Amino acid sequence: MATNPATYSPSQSLERRQQQQRRKIFLQADWTRTDGRSFHQCRPAFMRTGASNAASGSAYAEFGGTKVIVSVFGPRESKKAMMYSDTGRLNCNVSYTTFSTPTRGQGSDHKEYSSMLHKALEGAIILETFPKTTVDVFALVLESGGSDLPVIISCASLALADAGIMMYDLVSSVSVSCFGNNLVIDPTAEEEACQDGSLMIACMPARYEVTQLTLTGEWSTAKINEAMELCLDACLKLANIMRSCLKEIAS
Amino acid sequence: MVGLSTGEKHFIHGGIAQDLRSDGRKRLHFRPISVETGVIPQANGSARVRLGATDVIVSIKAELGKPNSFQPDKGKVAIFIDCSPTAAPEFEGRGGEELSSELSVALERCFLGGKTGTGAGIDLSSLIVVEGKVCWDLYIDGLVISSDGNLLDALAAAIKVALSNTGIPKVNVDLGASPDDQPEVDVSDEEFLQFDTSGVPVVVTLTKVGRHYIVDATLEEESQMSSAVSVSVNRHGHICGLTKRGGAGLDPSVILDMISVAKHVSQNLISVLDSEIAAAEANADE
Repeated sequence: MATNPATYSPSQSLERRQQQQRRKIFLQADWTRTDGRSFHQCRPAFMRTGASNAASGSAYAEFGGTKVIVSVFGPRESKKAMMYSDTGRLNCNVSYTTFSTPTRGQGSDHKEYSSMLHKALEGAIILETFPKTTVDVFALVLESGGSDLPVIISCASLALADAGIMMYDLVSSVSVSCFGNNLVIDPTAEEEACQDGSLMIACMPARYEVTQLTLTGEWSTAKINEAMELCLDACLKLANIMRSCLKEIAS
Repeated sequence: MVGLSTGEKHFIHGGIAQDLRSDGRKRLHFRPISVETGVIPQANGSARVRLGATDVIVSIKAELGKPNSFQPDKGKVAIFIDCSPTAAPEFEGRGGEELSSELSVALERCFLGGKTGTGAGIDLSSLIVVEGKVCWDLYIDGLVISSDGNLLDALAAAIKVALSNTGIPKVNVDLGASPDDQPEVDVSDEEFLQFDTSGVPVVVTLTKVGRHYIVDATLEEESQMSSAVSVSVNRHGHICGLTKRGGAGLDPSVILDMISVAKHVSQNLISVLDSEIAAAEANADE
């Protein structure tokens, strides 16, 4: 499906600075990634809007083995039982197909993704523009190939833009895994399974604001610094791909 | 939630800006913390932590189980949090479910570390009895009795205290004749092994109100927050988990600043908790 994929990776200067560090590490722990990428190289990103006809807006994203569809419905009238609200409501739901994981039905392990998607997006949407109404964001993971949540978040913000929901900025999201001293960006499912720690950032690149940030494992402050810099840079590049995807539709 | 007038909101904002909050605290001061251990005799370990008007109980039960086939050398830990409707009417029925799951996910992130177990506050390999066959399943159940803000920090502190109060029964294992046999396990009800809690982190939540951030926000202050960052820090000053709450975006440099403040505050909190634990244990012995 990805005919001419656009790749993105952090800037050259950052790459060069870390090259020297990495060389040292390579001497200790020599391993290459299964898909032949370098540690700081993201998977080719393929994104298209208009995946579903019934929705107000929708998007499809394919990052290597991770395939996600997001549909946005609304703004439509909030349920009668809801209290009056002078700002709009955002309702997010993430589900996995039963065949998305190697073992059938494993996707139900990720119940927290819906609320995490909500938190990543709510800061970017101008909820004041649609009072009394609700926007529904439904994400479906067709295939889980690692870094699922970042892909869902990026794809959802593209779908929101496609639906014409007013936003301050697109939200793009990237995660890194930590292996000993190595930081590996955009990990695959196999890499995620044996990571020492992970850090995920969702941000609005134009405003340079972080909307969601999670971290697991043991980190020193310097390492967090490095990982955040890496993620933010990749987020910026990813947002450019998303923007060009939207421009393509408009032209 | 909290009904506040415009004047009251201004008062909270103004106080925080001047480093003098409604209850007389400075921005980076915790409310007085009080700790009780062994409150639930039926559990292997338990603790009650009160942080101002926030009141939580944590009970820890250990049961024998079978290790996961992917990780035969590790025991299992599960964290469940229950928000009781006695704490707030919003928690009635399914109302507390969202908050409960948010808190349990955040706590699991803080205590269980990465996939390989680095940075985990609870050493999962210490829970193994017979590799690949028998392990301890640790069930950590938290109950919110009364909620006046900063639930996550209170729950994390309660888990830390409860773990230090936990005794895992000593087991004698009879491996059986052939390696395929399910080993026979004899659980002692007299001898207990103390749990190593030196690596268990504390959680510090920094709540951003206006341009400043505060620790240990009350419910009223939380209602005025734009976003909050919960950082879990262990004794060595390493970050072992981080969760952002609240929708508003934050500048990356502010987040890094918050992390360094959290690191500083956490060391105080750890020493306060340590002395409280020692005092509570001494009380229990009497």
